[in-house]
Amino acid sequence: MKRKALTAVFMAALLAMGLTACSSGGGSTDSASESDTIRIGCAIPLTGASAQDGQSIQNGAQIAVDQVNEAGGIDGKQVELVVEDDKGDSSEAATVANLLAEDSTISAVVGHFNSSCTLAGAPIYNQAGVVEISPGSSAAAVTDAGDYTFRVITTDAVQGRYLAEWAVNDLGYQNIAVLYENTDYGLGLAQVLEEAMADLGANIVVQEAYEVGATDYSTVLTKVASSEAEAIIIGGLYNETALIAKQRSSFGLENMQIMGVDAIYSDALIELGGDAANGILLTGYFSDASTSQVAQDFIAAYEEAYGEMPATYAAYGYDAALVILDAIQNVGADRAAIQEYLSTLEGLEGATGINSFDENGDVIKDPMRMTIENGEFVVIE
Amino acid sequence: MKILRNPKQKKVLYGIGLILLAAFPFLITNSYYLHVCISIGVYILLATSLNLVTGFAGQLSLGHAAFYGIGAYVGALLMLNFDVNFFLAMIASAVVSGLFGLLLGLPTLRLRGDYLAIVTLGFGEIVRLVFVNWAEVTRGPLGLPGIPSPSIFGFQISGRTAFYYLIIVLVLLTLFVMNRIVNSGVGMAMQTVKIDEIAAESIGIYPIKYKLIAFVVAAAFAGIAGCYYASYIAYISPTTFVYNTSVTILAMVVLGGLGSIPGSIIGAVILTLVPELLRFMSDYRMLIFGALMVFMMIFRPEGFWGASKRVKNIYKIKAGGGKNGSDSGDNQRHN
Amino acid sequence: MFTQQLMNGITVGGVYALIALGYTMVYGILKIVNFAHGDVFMMGMFLGMFFTQSLGLHYLIAFPLAAAATAFVGICIERIAYRPIRVADKLAVLISALGVSIFLQNLAMLVWGTETHTFNSGITVQTYRLGSVTLSNIQIGVIVLCCVLMIVLYVVVNKTKIGVAMRATSHSIVSAKLMGINTDRIISFTFGVGSVLACVAGILVGIYYDAVYPTIGYSYGLKAFAAAILGGIGSIPGAMLGGFVIGIVETFGAAYISSGYRDAFAFGILIIVLIFKPSGILGVKHVDKV
Repeated sequence: MKRKALTAVFMAALLAMGLTACSSGGGSTDSASESDTIRIGCAIPLTGASAQDGQSIQNGAQIAVDQVNEAGGIDGKQVELVVEDDKGDSSEAATVANLLAEDSTISAVVGHFNSSCTLAGAPIYNQAGVVEISPGSSAAAVTDAGDYTFRVITTDAVQGRYLAEWAVNDLGYQNIAVLYENTDYGLGLAQVLEEAMADLGANIVVQEAYEVGATDYSTVLTKVASSEAEAIIIGGLYNETALIAKQRSSFGLENMQIMGVDAIYSDALIELGGDAANGILLTGYFSDASTSQVAQDFIAAYEEAYGEMPATYAAYGYDAALVILDAIQNVGADRAAIQEYLSTLEGLEGATGINSFDENGDVIKDPMRMTIENGEFVVIE
Repeated sequence: MKILRNPKQKKVLYGIGLILLAAFPFLITNSYYLHVCISIGVYILLATSLNLVTGFAGQLSLGHAAFYGIGAYVGALLMLNFDVNFFLAMIASAVVSGLFGLLLGLPTLRLRGDYLAIVTLGFGEIVRLVFVNWAEVTRGPLGLPGIPSPSIFGFQISGRTAFYYLIIVLVLLTLFVMNRIVNSGVGMAMQTVKIDEIAAESIGIYPIKYKLIAFVVAAAFAGIAGCYYASYIAYISPTTFVYNTSVTILAMVVLGGLGSIPGSIIGAVILTLVPELLRFMSDYRMLIFGALMVFMMIFRPEGFWGASKRVKNIYKIKAGGGKNGSDSGDNQRHN
Repeated sequence: MFTQQLMNGITVGGVYALIALGYTMVYGILKIVNFAHGDVFMMGMFLGMFFTQSLGLHYLIAFPLAAAATAFVGICIERIAYRPIRVADKLAVLISALGVSIFLQNLAMLVWGTETHTFNSGITVQTYRLGSVTLSNIQIGVIVLCCVLMIVLYVVVNKTKIGVAMRATSHSIVSAKLMGINTDRIISFTFGVGSVLACVAGILVGIYYDAVYPTIGYSYGLKAFAAAILGGIGSIPGAMLGGFVIGIVETFGAAYISSGYRDAFAFGILIIVLIFKPSGILGVKHVDKV
């Protein structure tokens, strides 16, 4: 038995070597063609619970790449987006991070989406010296993830606090219900809201978690209905928000104000929510009502390519790619040079506003206020 | 495989195999390949340990990822909060996971087959939910970042090469222990229990004892794998220790061949490599993976290293469980 | 709040019960757990959506078509993935079922995309207020259909000729064959019926929540499976009872203890019941013989 086991170890080793031999053969052809393409990694979830957002990011990033290629590429070189699926799972993210970091033809990486994946990938990217620009990780911990970890989305703290101030100071709500998804994202936002509400002197009367992809919200909505809550703040994404909005009327909550951050900005919110989505208030950086020329060009290109309006994460994906492309245009495709350039980047206009990075690689920009009127997002001045 | 019959040549071959394994990081400097090898190593730990429960003791478990997770969290929390040395943390992980293994083993006093499977599944889900919701300790879904690398006598193990050697050592250690257990009286008693509990009892083998041993040992090794994983990735979150992971580990054991240690190794290697090899067709890869699982079961249900590969088997049992129920399972066999 | 939560629990439980009936029937006949059943439920939802939305059919035509198509999917699964290995080890069937489950999920993703769709059946949800409790027509539909289908199934299994054949097959496939029963056909029939029930549950969920996505089958499937085991797998009234118990327990757990642990309550009660009564609430105790 023991011998068999050893034989198996031996076979496994041989197999692995065979594999590496043939794939490294494939790798060398890549480096041969290195001279005429610039390759950017895109590590996002394409299967699993966040697949929809991953797809948006990929689409958005592809638009940025296409725009550059149509304009003749960078120094005559075409740009290629190398997409890898991290399944929204941190151990898979580590695998993908290794794959991209090891491939020396990859100049920088757009990704990851989930904060847990960004954090799992961060040590690998930082060790290898590859810039990763997250289009969706807003958790506080990403701030300290390393010099090579950047993000084009603001932290939960920025938007969460802004939203809380809007609700309490401007709209006068004193009793708030917080419904959040039971993930790193939802919990992070719920914690920010809890602190912000305490500072503002308002009460959180209901704070309930739900699972991503849940369809039934009767339990939590019943709790909200029997509480003093004047508004529901959602720490989650558009699908669940739409369902909550739709189901609230069954519990006599049809006039209950629903508020959220930019994670709920998506056409899916309006499509799924129907009439119930009207009147939802949200903060965000990207909107199809945006007056920015960059944003409008992006929207037009996106609609033409995919036949639908871009969601928030598509815009973030676009911006992440845009930032990388801007760096490559200025300092070339060298990994370290890109990092150096980005660490001092200021004032690059993207679809989600003006991008500047602070010393931790966090983006600094101001949110705007939006609502939904007659099935369309409208910016509130 | 004929040359393998000759013990001398065999020794030479194993020697070469081990040297190749040891030399691997020098031959291949690509860290992605090293990472894949390390992942294979972790899955070998998980699959061989689950094999002890499911393949040898015949208890279907769908919650192995829970022990993996408990090990990871115990190890990570000790290293992060109390600066415990990695190797001590690893022992603690093994002990705590083992205790939970005992806890999960207890229902086997009364349950078997599909009922046990659903209890282990429920256990796995509950453990995951505790990771998610016990935020004061586990930071919930935010996960635990910045888990330190191990150090021996002040020498820091970091970088993929060092982790590669560490997992090789752990794999060899696990295989050694598993082999000793399986080929001992305990292992034989386990296999007897798997075939027929009542018959086992009638010849003086106390089934519960051996089932519990299997659960505890398997959980302890899964715990070790978890602690290693936590330190290697340096970040853990509940998303890694989910039902799907348990299923993947079980699939490795079954595809490799139940009750066969080399089978589990092959299962771990193949099920880690196949999704990686299918990466280029990202849209279709899981579709193909699912179909492959079905076809594998239809055309080779005994697994890659199933009964036909095994020369000697004391009980002449068919791999893949043979008959495991006593009354209800039987009447379908003649169909 | 209490009565409202109870109603919420019963509605969710009704859906679990409908799916659980499929698990329990297949188990009753073949003694295997059809782990792909949750994904059959998901396919039922998508097919319902496909016939109403994409083909624009009226729901009275579309839903029976969807049910037939789902039955076809279920029968195909049995023919391709289970029948060749029925005689092999149970674990092989289990792995095969997991393979089918992965396959179906990814197939749905390829065909319909990963995004959440609206169901748009043409049936509108109407809510009624009874004192402090609100109820909708779909909620009532779920509960009524669930009871009716259970009774129909019970009658079919216990009073009809095909039911006798099913019970005979469940008892012993070999003896049933010797008695001239076409057991393969009976097994296909069972899978078909189980899949139709899953489709009905899927359509109800689709109408009620108005949302469909490829991974929806996972959590419903898991809970329904728990419900089937809790009630005593193989028992039709048991599946129903198990579904309601799981639905109510998780709703109350989420409402009064912690919503984060919602799923833990369902599994917790399952484990406790199984430890004290391993055959489930209404299950038949098996005695092992040498």
